[in-house]
Amino acid sequence: MTRYIIRRLLWGVALLILVSALTFVLFRILPTGEPARLRAGRLATPKVIAAIRSDLGLNKPLIVQFWLYMKGIFLHFNLGYSYYSSASVKSLIANRLGATLSLTFGAAVIWLLSGVAVGIISGVRRGSKLDRGTMGTALVLISAPEYWLGLIALYLFAADIGQLKVFPGAGSYVGLTGDPSRWFTSLILPWLVLAATNAAIYARLIRGSLIDAMGEDYIRTARAKGLSERRVVLRHGVRSAINPIMTILGLDIGVLLGGAVLVETVFDIPGIGRLNYDAITHSDFPIIQGTVLIAALFIIVANIVVDVAYAYLDPRVRYS
Amino acid sequence: MIRTARAGVTVAFVGALALALALVLGACGSSSSSSVSSSGLKTPKTESPTAGKRGGTLTVLNHGDFENLDPGVAYFLNDYEMVYATQRPLFSYEPNTFSKQTPDMASGPAEISADGKTVTVHIRHGVHFSPPVNREVTSADVAYAFDRGANPNVANPYIQSYFSSVEGAEKASGGPIPGITTPDRYTIVFHLTEPKGQLVADALALPLSAPVPEEYAKKYDAKKPSEYGNYQVATGPYMLKADSEGKVLGIGYQPGKSATLVRNPNWSPSADFRPAYLDEIDIKIGGDTNVIGRQVLEGSHEVQNDTPAASIVQLAYEKFRSQLQISPGAGDHYIAVNNKKGPFSNVDVRKAFWAGLDRTAMNKARGGSLVTDVQTHFLYPEIPGFEDAGGLVGPKVDYNEHPEGDMAIAEKYMKLAGYPSGKYTGTNTLEIVGSTGDPAPEDAEIANNTLRSLGFKTKLSLVDHSVMYAKYCGVPAEEIDVCPNVAWGADFGDGQTVLDPTFNGKSIIPSGNNNWGQVNDPTINAAMEKAELILGSEARAKAWAAIDRELVAEAVAIPYDWDKTPSVESKDVAGVGDLWNSGAWDYSFTSLK
Repeated sequence: MTRYIIRRLLWGVALLILVSALTFVLFRILPTGEPARLRAGRLATPKVIAAIRSDLGLNKPLIVQFWLYMKGIFLHFNLGYSYYSSASVKSLIANRLGATLSLTFGAAVIWLLSGVAVGIISGVRRGSKLDRGTMGTALVLISAPEYWLGLIALYLFAADIGQLKVFPGAGSYVGLTGDPSRWFTSLILPWLVLAATNAAIYARLIRGSLIDAMGEDYIRTARAKGLSERRVVLRHGVRSAINPIMTILGLDIGVLLGGAVLVETVFDIPGIGRLNYDAITHSDFPIIQGTVLIAALFIIVANIVVDVAYAYLDPRVRYS
Repeated sequence: MIRTARAGVTVAFVGALALALALVLGACGSSSSSSVSSSGLKTPKTESPTAGKRGGTLTVLNHGDFENLDPGVAYFLNDYEMVYATQRPLFSYEPNTFSKQTPDMASGPAEISADGKTVTVHIRHGVHFSPPVNREVTSADVAYAFDRGANPNVANPYIQSYFSSVEGAEKASGGPIPGITTPDRYTIVFHLTEPKGQLVADALALPLSAPVPEEYAKKYDAKKPSEYGNYQVATGPYMLKADSEGKVLGIGYQPGKSATLVRNPNWSPSADFRPAYLDEIDIKIGGDTNVIGRQVLEGSHEVQNDTPAASIVQLAYEKFRSQLQISPGAGDHYIAVNNKKGPFSNVDVRKAFWAGLDRTAMNKARGGSLVTDVQTHFLYPEIPGFEDAGGLVGPKVDYNEHPEGDMAIAEKYMKLAGYPSGKYTGTNTLEIVGSTGDPAPEDAEIANNTLRSLGFKTKLSLVDHSVMYAKYCGVPAEEIDVCPNVAWGADFGDGQTVLDPTFNGKSIIPSGNNNWGQVNDPTINAAMEKAELILGSEARAKAWAAIDRELVAEAVAIPYDWDKTPSVESKDVAGVGDLWNSGAWDYSFTSLK
């Protein structure tokens, strides 16, 4: 197992280098606003643009720029500096990470608990009114765009612009250490919105897996041995049905840690997703590269964690 | 100065403005009539800048972040509201005008020598920098502001455009500029190689002329790029919250999150024309425009200082009309056509296109008459010379008299151009490059349909707004025939800043070109050369108005939209918008009720 983990980690590093290279190449080769021109303003002379290009290091050969960038990351964990604010990308990301972690893990807990619970109940009561009702609702939630759902939630429940004025509205987020109570209440609506779609997907997935699992021979054997139906479902059915959930949970968390742009924007939560979005609109390459790299890192790590967890959850899986 | 002026034609501006304006049509102009009563709406001209109540904290909810807060670099709308509250350029504008400058750091009007080659400015006594510098501002600080503007680490966007006639400015790279002298602590003199004194004097309203203390800023200006913006000191009534070392980054400004303006303890009201009613301005950055606009309208002591979403403008117009401000003079949109090569090198083909284009439909796409006027010439409202150039109605030429388009007149000009059927019969396929992001595609499609009606074969491509300029319309070698989504705005209140960069043949450069139609008419070029040297604001206004009429006579481009900008405020805010800055709320004049 240890060798397997080490091998996966090394592959992870290789993947990170590849992602860095791809990001670097894509944003420099594809047609886009040139940062020096954007920064120079519309009346800038070629002399001014050349000076800015030189200042930002954009006049160096691409390969040299890439080498300097990679050297900075892997030797000094230096992700560079914003072209606009001159702030360190590392500090900008660190500054935003708390909000993104809070948003992601809180929402994950909600969608996991609710999605799994609903999925199990629907799977066990297949064809019932409850099953049809919950799966219909799930379909609606899967179809609803997060952005729209966020707006509706604010218009209904936000304390400032909502009809019912229950939860703090957009822009109310504060850090956990600043005011734990306000941190929690300000995240309730974003958590619910972010969790809604995922919970619906998870519920449908686990329902399907559970139905399949309950038809397996070992379930029949368990019943023949006289185990209670609750024990059969939870110990044998769910344990098997949960595996696909683990796979997508790792991916979902990894992706969201890279930034939940829409939810962060609607609820005005200063997370990594919005940082990335702003950087893209300004062609602020160092921030784009930094946030993409962080997102890739989260996805790779989450995948490794999921693969390792598999081995513990499913007795049939053993890595060598 | 409007936002497009400093921002140029940025993705952020055009995207936000377009988005905001596109659906206002639904609220107030989607029917057959585009004339919407704007009674009951505030404009920067109707707001009282001097009747405010002192004290309180204003919360600003902005979607977009600042671009650059260094006065030597700043050129965006949001940046300007921050910079003009914290810095004092030699001259600036009172909120309700874009034609008359007010001495700011200067103690009186600029003195221009009779030969137009020397500009002398006396500066106020008793103005002090904010902590940690604290000392009195001298003319040497203004001179250093220009010196650093030419430093590649700062790279001011305007120093080569409007101050290139200052002796030594063209070759300056951060050291003292020989043509700027300071004979005493309170006098600065600009020595010019050409008689462009009026232009230089007018351009002193740009933030570049705000004083910067050399002994403090030099170490930050040595960084590539300069970090002075993150350690800046103020001369205006407000300053970005800072630590004892003057550091702003992470304290008074958190990129993408917030900024906090507090009173500058060294500011003296007796030496300023700004009332500065507010105690503090808290700026929150990044909210969704559909949400923050509603928060402002329904909330308390809040404004939004970037363009509201279309749904918010609609809501404000219908239910919160007293909280909606519409500011005219926010730039223009027009269709650039290739004057150098292809069918549009023929003036009659250009006139045919102008005549046939349904400009009212294009304006409806942008939001109708609440937020646009049909453009009839190139100087826009509030720019000196606008009325002389024809006002809203515009020059009385047949191809300009039917905003809804008149195909009979269009065909007349096609016949004059050598197409007897009134339709184009050549083999060229027109290359049209427009912009993505509503409502630009709709405008581009209307232009495309007009051209097809005139018999042209066309190929329409829509690309990202910045790509449209950077890779196509701003690169003459690409030989694009039609760019239907270009926009422009003035850098300061002078017709030259509207017409010269966009229609002077001398402005054509291989990339980053703003003369998108490659207009290069020797007569017009000569008129511009002459007008550039005229002294006196009124005479300049008349000269540039005359040039505007020539541009219309030559139909060098096809105008369609003069922009007006909507802004929203809470019911208990006495907002004062800046006419010179697209109506953006002025922090130094706005107060709480």
